[in-house]
Amino acid sequence: MSNINGKVYAMNAITPMKPWKTWVVRAIFFTLGHVKSLQQDLINLSFIEFARWVVVPRQRFPYLGNGQVKEDLKYDYLLFFSNFNGTWNQYIDAFSAVLSNGLNLVWRWSEKFPGSVPVTLFKEYIARVQFDTDYYFTAYPHATANDLKSAHIVQASLDSLVQRAPNCTPEEFRSAYLNFVIQVQAHLGDTGEAPVIF
Amino acid sequence: MSKLNETDIQGFVLRGYNLPFARYLFLHFEDSARARALVGRLLPVITTGQRWDHGKPQSTANIAFTHRGLAAFDLPEATLLSFPVEFLQGMKDRAAILGDTGINAPEHWDKLWLDNHVHAWLGINGQSPEAVDARCSQIQALMQETGGAMQLAWQDAAAIMDDGKPTSREHFGYTDGFGNPDYLGVERSTQPGQGKLMPDGTWAPLATGELLLGYADEAGELPVAPVPHILACNGTFMVYRKLHQNLATFRAYLEERSAQYGGGMEKLAAKFIGRWRDGTPVELSPDWPDPAIVQDPNRNTNFTYGADPQGTRCPIGAHVRRVHPRDAFGFNGRLIDRRRITRRGLPYGRPVPEGEPASDAEDRGIVFMALNASLSRQFEFVQQQWIEYGNDAHQGNDKDMLIGNHRGHGKFVVQGDLSATNPPFLCTHLPNFVELRGGDYFFLPSITALGMIAMGLVDPR
Repeated sequence: MSNINGKVYAMNAITPMKPWKTWVVRAIFFTLGHVKSLQQDLINLSFIEFARWVVVPRQRFPYLGNGQVKEDLKYDYLLFFSNFNGTWNQYIDAFSAVLSNGLNLVWRWSEKFPGSVPVTLFKEYIARVQFDTDYYFTAYPHATANDLKSAHIVQASLDSLVQRAPNCTPEEFRSAYLNFVIQVQAHLGDTGEAPVIF
Repeated sequence: MSKLNETDIQGFVLRGYNLPFARYLFLHFEDSARARALVGRLLPVITTGQRWDHGKPQSTANIAFTHRGLAAFDLPEATLLSFPVEFLQGMKDRAAILGDTGINAPEHWDKLWLDNHVHAWLGINGQSPEAVDARCSQIQALMQETGGAMQLAWQDAAAIMDDGKPTSREHFGYTDGFGNPDYLGVERSTQPGQGKLMPDGTWAPLATGELLLGYADEAGELPVAPVPHILACNGTFMVYRKLHQNLATFRAYLEERSAQYGGGMEKLAAKFIGRWRDGTPVELSPDWPDPAIVQDPNRNTNFTYGADPQGTRCPIGAHVRRVHPRDAFGFNGRLIDRRRITRRGLPYGRPVPEGEPASDAEDRGIVFMALNASLSRQFEFVQQQWIEYGNDAHQGNDKDMLIGNHRGHGKFVVQGDLSATNPPFLCTHLPNFVELRGGDYFFLPSITALGMIAMGLVDPR
């Protein structure tokens, strides 16, 4: 029952939008989804494992019958869900510092959004619309996204060395091994405990 | 931005005095009225940021207070409670956050820090030991006359000398003190590489509010500060850390490992830090030290890591690349602009020339002081995320090679290429080359704020 599981943080934020604005957001998402270059900044923030915005229309909230009172919702909702490594403050700071235009584009249609700069008001807003995580499973709580990407590189390089090795002369193996080390040398960080949260 | 009011800012904040001798006094206040009287008498003695039109003075004096020290003046509760929480707690209570555990844990610190009696830091710098003594006697006389403070301890520090001339070397032999940040409005001979990286590749000063309270910071906001504004404005927060250096361990490790390293001992020493021991940035000159670069202010801090993502010139985990990553995290450096700190400090203890026997047990190290507007966002972040951890640099849990709290388990990868003199190399079983022996967080107020404290006129409103 926590937003934090080892090195990974799960953030959920839900913000109301006036229904006519939802269409604008859908158009923006359509564009962002089809022009990959517009996503590049978000992708380049290496401590973000995952980030997604989804529109939840006001008629699409679950209705289970069984005496559940039907609600007449006035707003559509924008759900933001992200998994990232590092501290909450670091994450919002980075968002505000390098993605402010993109964030404003997506969130400015939500009610009372103050803008992603200055960062203090933005943090207050996120804190207000964030919902804590009830259940959170992480396969590798001692690893970050960078650690996982590094592990894949090390594994692939090792597999290829192993494949080559049986047919190598000692001289060829020396050269193959050196190449292997150079392939993995920037990907050898240890995994382990996350720093203390502050 | 117009010039800052330099006469209202303590000189220690605006400039590294570059005076080779120092003594840091640690004071305890026993009575608020007498302590205020002492601050009042000290006011004309405190060195401000005013320009030295008549040359450098013989000595300087500056003062800063712990939260307990401010409380000892009987400042209003509303003011005392308005300080940021990390300053309220003090550095000892932040040990787990900072990775100050194991051998670096507070229970191993000098006795001075153990009973929470340090109320003030009084820093004296001088051109000679005699000048420091003279200033010290003057201040001690004021302490006696007013009965305002008890001196708990002092720490002497001094530049390491070469034939009687001060150098900027520290005990491991590295030339130190490059690249403090530039700030808007702070008059200083600036050089490229010291501020923030701009999209066109030039360097610009950081916002004043990254250093001083009361001014806009890099996010365009006023830094979190105590009330009233006039108490905070032109002040800053200071970290004091006494860092013991295990010289014998360092030399033995370097010698033993470099015996297996194709680039040789000096190159391995350079790879540890990211600078050759004479100060040449490895990124600019990966194969040999180049005094011409060191002496050229347009070059010695003017480099980036964008063209070296694999660390084959400057290792990804090298000390200077970790603590000032420049553009290494992409986004043209914008992720690091709010994590910069201004460093002050000098070595302490007897220097041991190369080749002479050294021991870890001798009292020797560096007094590290850092100035920043936000202890948590700047110093604590750098200490936790970039020194004691490595994810931002894609280094997993690996710690800073030089000052990490390794406990014998540390690892440092020297990235290399196919050449025989720059091979990839693994340094394992890293010991603690540096150990923390104590310190605290201090508030370094403006001259106006010192006056208000002295007169007991702090009004939180």
